[in-house]
Amino acid sequence: MRTLVFIPAWNEEASLGEVIEGVRESLPAADLLVVDDGSVDATAARAREAGALVASLPFNQGLGAALQTGYLHALREGYDFCAHLDADGQHPPTEVALLLEEVYADRADLVIGSRYRDREAAESDDYKPTFSRRIGTGVFRFFLTLATRQRFTDTTSGMRAANRRVMTLFSERYSPDFAEIESLQLAVRQGLRVEEVPVRMLERAEGTSFLTPLRSAFFIFKGMIVLVVGQFRPRRVEVER
Amino acid sequence: MRELALAASQDPKVHLTSQTRIIAAVLALAFMALVLELIRRDRLQERFSVVWFVAGVGMLIGAAFPGLLTFVADAMGVRDTNVALFSIVLLLLLGLALNFSVTMSRQATQITRLAQEQALEKAREQTARERNGHGAPAEPIEGDRS
Repeated sequence: MRTLVFIPAWNEEASLGEVIEGVRESLPAADLLVVDDGSVDATAARAREAGALVASLPFNQGLGAALQTGYLHALREGYDFCAHLDADGQHPPTEVALLLEEVYADRADLVIGSRYRDREAAESDDYKPTFSRRIGTGVFRFFLTLATRQRFTDTTSGMRAANRRVMTLFSERYSPDFAEIESLQLAVRQGLRVEEVPVRMLERAEGTSFLTPLRSAFFIFKGMIVLVVGQFRPRRVEVER
Repeated sequence: MRELALAASQDPKVHLTSQTRIIAAVLALAFMALVLELIRRDRLQERFSVVWFVAGVGMLIGAAFPGLLTFVADAMGVRDTNVALFSIVLLLLLGLALNFSVTMSRQATQITRLAQEQALEKAREQTARERNGHGAPAEPIEGDRS
């Protein structure tokens, strides 16, 4: 049984090394792949120094394309399970292990780490979302729940674990610019078991979030288009259960 | 100019004067020549040029048989031939622009996949390099890559 942990990274030279080390420590048996999404800083070099395998996209393609690269690698190299987490240090690697437990035990095909779901995580002071992020989270949560008839709390979480069914689906179809939300909707529509697990998340260690109020509004608007259109998409990809 | 505008307001079906017809025909020919030139210099691929030649021929036909336009306007139930002309052209351009967006989307998908393939190829090279001596030993690659 082989597990791949991949980390999409775009200009994350400052925090990446630490994240890689953390993954090594908490998941010593897993292979590690850093998907460098056309970084202009030393992201790829840092990753190699830390001993990770690096897949460098020749130019910046967006988070969706980077994640799909990871799923594609996992599928082709014959991994049984895969997981991914953000490179900015928001996701403690110890929590990724919790997600993997769920797919190992075959309780779900795709597991999302939610910073909002119960446990002490919701009340902890570790993670304080900004105002615009809270609005966005609320809107997406509402519409995704409506679309999938399943309760999701952390729709944009970039900490996930998956099995081969999900790899097959995501390496074929993965929205390049609305990765997180559309992929959830897609997986549920394909009849895959998607589950949320409460996790602890931290404030960004380095750098700033790209979300300004105007961008957030645009992001939300785009997300709603994606969700509405997604409801009318044919369920054409065959994923054997 | 004023006389022309006056004439236009009196008669909704303006008939093109021979002067405007000649200008339209010359423009159409110049347009098609431009398209040809672009193909010749490899700035435009043949498969994308078809629609522009059709547009040029359409302009020529419109210039040669102005009665055709009046006929189309009548069929559309539009009194003003200019309005008919503009709405037809606008709709065609809208369709064309949408078609380009579709083409762009397809190409964006293809470019993304190409970039991913290249990235994974580089990762495989790194694995092979590390296995051949220097660096930490890596997991063996198994299975085919399709």
